[in-house]
Amino acid sequence: MTTETVDRDVRLFVYERFLAEARPPTAAEIGAGLALDPAEVDASLARLEEGHVLVFAPGTKNIWMANPLSAFPTPFRVETPRGGYWGTCIWDAFGVVAMLGGSGDVLTSCACCGEEMALRVDAGALEPAEGIAHFAVPARRWWDNIGYT
Amino acid sequence: MLAFRSEAHVDRWCETRRSSRGASFGLDQAWQLGRVWYADKLSPDWKRPTPAEAEAAFASIGLTGEFWRLI
Repeated sequence: MTTETVDRDVRLFVYERFLAEARPPTAAEIGAGLALDPAEVDASLARLEEGHVLVFAPGTKNIWMANPLSAFPTPFRVETPRGGYWGTCIWDAFGVVAMLGGSGDVLTSCACCGEEMALRVDAGALEPAEGIAHFAVPARRWWDNIGYT
Repeated sequence: MLAFRSEAHVDRWCETRRSSRGASFGLDQAWQLGRVWYADKLSPDWKRPTPAEAEAAFASIGLTGEFWRLI
């Protein structure tokens, strides 16, 4: 197998397991699931992280983000027919809905005042909702600190 | 990217955090951004967009200008 094929298989395994269990798989689970040895898994995860396909939790090799999915709770809860997940930000929360067929609910709150915002997407269309999305950081600097955009 | 009730709440948040005002837009455009960026994420053939492809995706939903430049 080429590294490209391994990386594709690891990426797909991560997403499928993340969606099935609402948490990312460990390196050991990836190895067992794909019959890869630990060194192959570590190398593939490192390439995917280097390529900004996955994000590790700071100081670890544990998957924090497989965007749009977040391993840890965030202010962006998403409920879909497939299951409930956390989006990394409002973009990613909508991204979870889009990735899973285009229908679902995003439950968040105003970052300023904390008032709840319940947003529904039905069959690819956002139901009318008051609100604003704000990026603090220009696009070319997002990966300086992907946890704050 | 965060969600706010209104532009006034974005202003207040930026002031409180001493954060610069970035780019803001309506939630429907945020949904469109989620759709164009992630709808194919589970495809076996998915590839991370190149900077040019990303800029084109942003532009396809009206997000243009220096803030959205990657190249």
